[in-house]
Amino acid sequence: MATTQASSISSISKIPIRLRNFLARYPPQHYSAAVAPTPDQTTTTATTKTITATATPPAESAEPADAPSFPTLPSPYTPNRDAKGHKRPDPTAPSASRSLLYSNPEFPNPFLPRKNFRTGKWFGPVVGLRRQAELVKMAAKYNLEGLLPAGKKSTEFKETRRAERGLQIKGTGIGQKVKGHKWERTMESRLEDRRKAMTEMPEMVRLWKQRGHGRGWKKWPRR
Amino acid sequence: MAKKSKSRTMAVRLISMAMTGYYRTMIRPRAHRPLSMMKYDPVVKKQVLFLEATKGGRAK
Repeated sequence: MATTQASSISSISKIPIRLRNFLARYPPQHYSAAVAPTPDQTTTTATTKTITATATPPAESAEPADAPSFPTLPSPYTPNRDAKGHKRPDPTAPSASRSLLYSNPEFPNPFLPRKNFRTGKWFGPVVGLRRQAELVKMAAKYNLEGLLPAGKKSTEFKETRRAERGLQIKGTGIGQKVKGHKWERTMESRLEDRRKAMTEMPEMVRLWKQRGHGRGWKKWPRR
Repeated sequence: MAKKSKSRTMAVRLISMAMTGYYRTMIRPRAHRPLSMMKYDPVVKKQVLFLEATKGGRAK
């Protein structure tokens, strides 16, 4: 017991003081992303997740077992560009990545801005994006990312957002084609024509020789 | 003003029948029958039939 305690103390002492201070100020049992309810799960699972998160703090426990599914959401790949006047997707529309940014009203997420609904004023996040990124990197190094609150710099958020947005290159989505150059698009049919012409060549040459090397030839190609 | 007389010879285009888009340009007497010959096509790397292309598709 004593040895395990000693080992845990020594492992804690390895964590950078900045991260330790942050975790002391924002205890993971109240603030961490693991406590936040996933959009498609009820609060009961959230409480169980709290327990698992406190018992086994590494990042694996913080990751939801199944990715949140949104059947009504638009395709995560490039939107339909055939529609005239393609607009950028609404940034305020609900999405899988945005649903990860959870803030408990009781314990406001220090990584997210918050609105005072009485005055209607917005307040910036307690920890800015630059410091968030630093904390996330630090936590990831010690495999403690699951203990941090949900934020735009978390690996999970970034992965979800990337999946939503797709490659953002025209033609790479499902059911889309990269347009390419004309010679690339017509390559197949041209090669097919050439192959067909070459198979018919001996017969053509035989006919041509038969008709006096072009004297009786009727089918001249068009320019 | 007198109409400009046509030259005795004309430049013609001989198109490879291998459908490679390769062609050769030759000069022949205007009164001569259309040219056709076996020539090397570097795209298919073979001797193939080359036929003279008619302007406007009119066979002579």
